[in-house]
Amino acid sequence: MVGSKNKKLQLILLYTIAIIFLIIMVYPYLYMVLNSLAPWDQVDRKIIPTGITLKSYIWLLHGGEDVTPRPWLRAFANSIIVTVSSTFLMMVTALLVAYALSKIVFKGSRTINNIIMFEMFYPSIILLIPTFLLVRKLGLYDTYWGMIIPKSVSLWAIFMYTNFFKAIPNELIEAAKIDGANEIKILFKIVLPMSKSITTVIFLFLFMERWVELLWDMLVVHDQNLLTLNVMLAQMFGPYGAYPGPMYAASVILTMPILILFIIFSKNFKEGIQFVLK
Amino acid sequence: MKKGQEKLGWLFASPYLVYSLIFFVIPLFGALFLSFTNWNLISPQYENVGFLNFIKAVKSPGVKAAFFVTYKFMIIFVPMVLIGSLVISLIINSLPRFKSFFSVGYFLPYLASGVATSVVVKGILSYNSALNVWLRNTWHLNIDWLGSQILAPLIIAVMISWKFMGYYSLILTSGLESISGEVYEAAAIDGATGWIKFFKITLPLLYPAMFTVTILAVGLVFGIFTEPYVLTGGGPGFSTNTWQIEIYNQAFSKLNAGYGSAIAIIDSVVTFVTIIIVRKLLEIWGKSYGWE
Repeated sequence: MVGSKNKKLQLILLYTIAIIFLIIMVYPYLYMVLNSLAPWDQVDRKIIPTGITLKSYIWLLHGGEDVTPRPWLRAFANSIIVTVSSTFLMMVTALLVAYALSKIVFKGSRTINNIIMFEMFYPSIILLIPTFLLVRKLGLYDTYWGMIIPKSVSLWAIFMYTNFFKAIPNELIEAAKIDGANEIKILFKIVLPMSKSITTVIFLFLFMERWVELLWDMLVVHDQNLLTLNVMLAQMFGPYGAYPGPMYAASVILTMPILILFIIFSKNFKEGIQFVLK
Repeated sequence: MKKGQEKLGWLFASPYLVYSLIFFVIPLFGALFLSFTNWNLISPQYENVGFLNFIKAVKSPGVKAAFFVTYKFMIIFVPMVLIGSLVISLIINSLPRFKSFFSVGYFLPYLASGVATSVVVKGILSYNSALNVWLRNTWHLNIDWLGSQILAPLIIAVMISWKFMGYYSLILTSGLESISGEVYEAAAIDGATGWIKFFKITLPLLYPAMFTVTILAVGLVFGIFTEPYVLTGGGPGFSTNTWQIEIYNQAFSKLNAGYGSAIAIIDSVVTFVTIIIVRKLLEIWGKSYGWE
C-alpha cells in the first residue's frame, strides 16, 4: 500500500513538472495573443488584460494619425506567394534528384551524392555576398523570383528523401516498369504515396524555414510592396516602437499559419519525424 | 535499357546540378575573388588589394568581437540547451500517458519566427512591463535588460534555447526509447538507483543522440542573426555582435563587399576548425563510454 501511494505522489510530481515546462514553452505565444487583443493602455503592463479589443488589428490595416499604414495584407500575401512557390520547388527538385540517386543506376550518382554531402557541411555564409551580386546581375533584385529561385533546392530535403527511398524495395519499381509505367509515373504514383509521413515532415520543415527567413529576403527586396511579413515586422521595431499593440497583432498573423499547418499535419508529422531524427 | 537509365539519371539530377553550378560553384569562386578586392557594391571600379582585407579584418574590433561573442554564446547556449532538452526528454520518456500531447507542446517554440519572439521579449523586458514594475516596486531593482553587456547575450541565448529545446529533445527521446528496459532491470538488481542509474546507464547509452544534438547546437551558434539583428543590433558595445551581424553590417550597411567577403571566409575557417575540435572532444568523451 505504501509503495502505491508513493508511486502516485511521484506521478503527480512528474505531471506537475511536465505542465510547468509546457507553460514555459507555450507562454510566449500566449503573451503574444493576449497583448494583441489588449486595450492599448494595458499592452505589456498587465499579465492578463481586463478587456479585449481588436484595435491593434484595425490599426495595423489603417494606420494611425501620425503613422502611414504599411501594406501588411500585401506582405502577408507576399509571404504566402514566396513560401508556397519556394517550398513547392524544393519538394519537386528533391523528389526528382533523390529518386535519381536512389532508384536509377547511373555512373555519376556516387559523385553527386558526395558533392551534396560536401555542400551540406559547407558554411553557406561565404556564399551570401556573391549570391546577392549574382542575383542582382541577373535582374532579380526587387522581384519575387529573387526570393524564390535561390531557395528552390534544398540539400537537406534531397538527403532525407534519398535515404528514405533507398528503403523502398526495388522489386516494386521493377514490377511497375514491367507493367509499362515510366519513371515519372512510378515516382509520383507509387513512391510518393508510400512516403506520406516523411513528405509531411520535409514539407513542414521547409515551409517553416522559408516562412521565417529574414536575412536573404531583407537583402534582395527593397520595394515596400514586395516585402515578406517577417521582413516587414523586423523593419517596424524602430518606427512602431510606440505602438506595441500592432506589433503583437502582426506577430500573431505571422505565427498562426505555421501553427495551424503544424496542428493539421501533426499526426503524419509524428510518424515521419522518427525517420528524420535517425 | 542501360543506356536509357544513364541519361535518365542525369536528367533527374539536373535541377540540382544546374542550381549548384549557379548558386554554389560560381559564388564560391566569387567570394574568393571578392575578398582580394576593395569593391564597394556600387562603383564600377575596384582594385586588387591582396591580403589587405584579411589583415584589416583580423585587426578590427568588430571581427575580434564576433570571434569571442560566438564562443561566449557557445559556452552559455550549448550547456543550457543540452540540459534543457535532456530534462524535457527524460520527462517525456517517463510519462505513462499523454506523451505525444506534451511532446507536441514542447515542440511548438521551434515553429516561431525569431522576429515574433523578439517582439515578445522586447515587450516583456520593456521599462513599464509587469515584470520590471514588479522588480522595481518589490526589490528596488531597475534592470536595463537589453542595455547590459552581460544580460543581452544571456537573453538571446535563452531565446534560442527556448526555440530549440523541444526539437532537440525529440532526438534525445528517440535515443532514450532505444535503451531497453532490461538494462535498467539488471541495474536495479545490482542496486543502482537515481543518479547512479542516470550517469552509469542512461547518459552512456544516450551518447549517440547527445553527439548529434551537441554538433547541431554548436553549428547553430555560428548562424545567429535574427535575434541580435532586431533586438540589439549587435550591441551594447559589440556584446552580441555575431559573425553574421558583422558580415551583414560590413557588406550591406557599409557596402564593403570585398571586406565583407574576407570576413565570411575567416568565419568559415573558424567554424570549420571549431566543429572539428568539438567532434574530436566528443569522440574522446564517447570513448570513455566505450563507443567507437
